[in-house]
Amino acid sequence: MREGFVTWLTGPSGAGKTVLARALEKKLKEMGYKVEVLDGDEIRKELYPELGFDRKAREMHNRIVIHMAKLLSRNGIIVIVSLISPYRKVREYARKEIGRFVEVYVYAPLEVRIRRDPKGLYAKAVKGEIKGLTGYDGVYEEPESPEVRIESHKMSVEEETELILERMRELGYL
Amino acid sequence: MSENVRKVVVIGLDSAPPNLLFDRFLDFLPNIRKLLSRSIYGPMKSCIPAITIPAWMCMATGKTPGELGLYGFRHRKGSSYNDIWIAHSLMVREKAVWDYIGEKGKKSIIVGVPPSYPPKKINGWLVSCFITPDTNCDYTYPKELKAEVEKIVGDYIFDVVFRKEERDEVKEKIWEMTEKRFELVRHLMETKDWNYVQFVEIGLDRIHHAFWKYFDENHHLHEKNSKYKDVIPDYYKLLDREIGKLLKLVDLDETAIAIVSDHGIKAMKGAFAINQWLIEEGLLKVKGGKVINRECPTRLDKVEVDWDRSVAWAWGGYYSRVFLNVKGREAKGIINPDDYGKVRDEIAEMLKNIRGPNGEKWDTKVFYPERLYPVAKGDKPDMMVYFDNLSWRAAGTVGYDSPYLRENDTGPDDAVHDEYGVFSLYLPGLEKKREITCTIYDFAPTILKLFGVKSALMGECLICARDS
Repeated sequence: MREGFVTWLTGPSGAGKTVLARALEKKLKEMGYKVEVLDGDEIRKELYPELGFDRKAREMHNRIVIHMAKLLSRNGIIVIVSLISPYRKVREYARKEIGRFVEVYVYAPLEVRIRRDPKGLYAKAVKGEIKGLTGYDGVYEEPESPEVRIESHKMSVEEETELILERMRELGYL
Repeated sequence: MSENVRKVVVIGLDSAPPNLLFDRFLDFLPNIRKLLSRSIYGPMKSCIPAITIPAWMCMATGKTPGELGLYGFRHRKGSSYNDIWIAHSLMVREKAVWDYIGEKGKKSIIVGVPPSYPPKKINGWLVSCFITPDTNCDYTYPKELKAEVEKIVGDYIFDVVFRKEERDEVKEKIWEMTEKRFELVRHLMETKDWNYVQFVEIGLDRIHHAFWKYFDENHHLHEKNSKYKDVIPDYYKLLDREIGKLLKLVDLDETAIAIVSDHGIKAMKGAFAINQWLIEEGLLKVKGGKVINRECPTRLDKVEVDWDRSVAWAWGGYYSRVFLNVKGREAKGIINPDDYGKVRDEIAEMLKNIRGPNGEKWDTKVFYPERLYPVAKGDKPDMMVYFDNLSWRAAGTVGYDSPYLRENDTGPDDAVHDEYGVFSLYLPGLEKKREITCTIYDFAPTILKLFGVKSALMGECLICARDS
C-alpha cells in the first residue's frame, strides 16, 4: 500500500483554496492516486452547523479535521484539507500529529479577496453585519515557513497545481 | 462596440450613496428614475481607502491604489517626517478606459476626473479636475480648449472652499460650479465628435460635507428647522434637472449611460485626535511631554517632536495613515527592522481596541498596504486605519484635553465617507432594471466590454455576467 499524506491548504476566505483543492484532486486522481478532499465549510455544514466562529469553536473544528485527515492518510489516501485554519498553533499541531504534511499557504491580497467574495462574507463584514471575519477584521496568522506559498492573484490554477505537485515530488510523497 | 451601444456617457457624482440616490430621493429625481428603470444598478464597493483620490482612478484603470501608488490627496515624500507631495495626474501610469479605447481610434471627452491635473494628452478633449490650482494655468487638452471653455462658461470653477462658516456662500458657489460644469459638458457633447464622455461633479461631495448636519436628524450636531435643511435634497434635484438636459442630447437607442460614485457618505460621529492619543500612549514623544493649546489646534509639524524617542506618528483625514519610526528608514528611526512586524501588530491591536468617548465598542479596522494590494507601490503608510468603520474621522492636530472631538479639526465638515458608492448602467435594449452589487474594479472591464476591448483586469465585466 502506498503511504498517504496530507496537503493542508490554509488561507482566508476568497484566497482560492476551494478551487485549488478541486483542481489538485482531479489531477492526482488522473495520476492514479486515491484522494479525499476535506473541506472545512462542508464538514461544518454536515456535522455541526450550529458551531460558532470564536477561537475555541474554530480550534475544535480544526482538531476534528486534523483527526479525520490523519485517519485517512494512514490508510494510504492523499488528503487535501481546505480549511481557513487561522491559528499557527493549530497548524503546527496538525503537522506534528500527521507527520507526512505539506502546508500550502494560499494567498491573495485583501482587495482581490473582497472582489471575489465567493460567499458574500466580505460584503457583510464591510457593512458591519458580521465581525471578526478572518483576514479582514479578524485574526489570520500567516504561515512562517509553509512548504508552498501560492499567490493566487498571479497564477493560474494549473500553475498552482503544478507547483504543489513538484513540491510533493521533492518531498518524496509522490 | 457591444450590441446596440455606439456611445457611452459616464456621469460621476462624487460621494453619491446608494440609499439616497436609489431609494430615499428617487421619487423626486424623474430623469434618474427613468434611467434606472432600464439599468443594471446597485451599491458599488469602493477601494480601500474609500476616498476621492485614488478612487476615481481605481475605477477608470481597474487597478488598486497600491498598483497606482496613490493612497490619498497627499503623500509622505520618501521617509521624511514632514515633507509631502500632492497627488497629480502624472503619477497615474496605468491606462484608463479612455486610453484603451483611444488606441482603437475612439474619441473621449473627459471633464474633472481626479486626478487629471496637469492635463495629459488623450484622444479627444480633457478639462482637468478639482486639484487644478486656478484658471490661470493650462487646464485643458488640447491647450486651445481653454479659450473655448471660458467662452462658454466664463470663469470656470474647479472646486469650492466648503469648510467655512459662511454656508450661504458655499451653497451659492456650489450651485454656480455645478451649472457651469454641466453647461460645459453639454457644449462639448454638442460640438465634438465623441464616442465616450466621462465627467465628475465634485459639488455633490462638497454639499454632503457642508450641509449634512442640517439634513440628518440623527447627527450629533443637528440643528432643527435650519434654513439649510433642504439644501442636500435640493441639490439632488438640481443634478437631476441638469442630467435631464444632458439626456436630451443623446440617442438613448444607441447610448449607454452610467451613473457612478467613488464612495458613499454618512454622518460623522466625531474626530479622533490620533496623534494626541499616540502621545498619551507614549508612542509619540514631544518636547515638554505634552501639547496643550485649547484655543487653536496645532499641526504636528509645528510641534517639537522628540524623534529619537518616538515610535509612531499619524496623519488625519477621513482615514488615518500611521507611520512607524524605523531604524535605517527614517532619519531618527528607533524601531529595529527585525521588530517591525511585532511592533506594527501591537500598535494595530491597540488601535483596534480604542473605544468611543462613552466606552462604547468601535468597529475599527487596520489595514497593512502590502497585504491589501497585489503590489503596494510608492509612498505608502505603514498602517491605514478606519476609526469605527470610518464613522470617526482622524484628526492629525494636537493640543486637546481629550482625543475625542465633536467637530472636524480643519473646519466645518459634518460627513464622512462610506465604503459603498453607486453604480448604474442604462443599456439600450435592456427591458427592465436589474439590481446588482459590484466593486469599483468592475467598472473598467464593463465599460471596455461595451467598446469590444478585452482586458486582463481583476474586476468582473458586469455585462458579461448578464449575457451568461
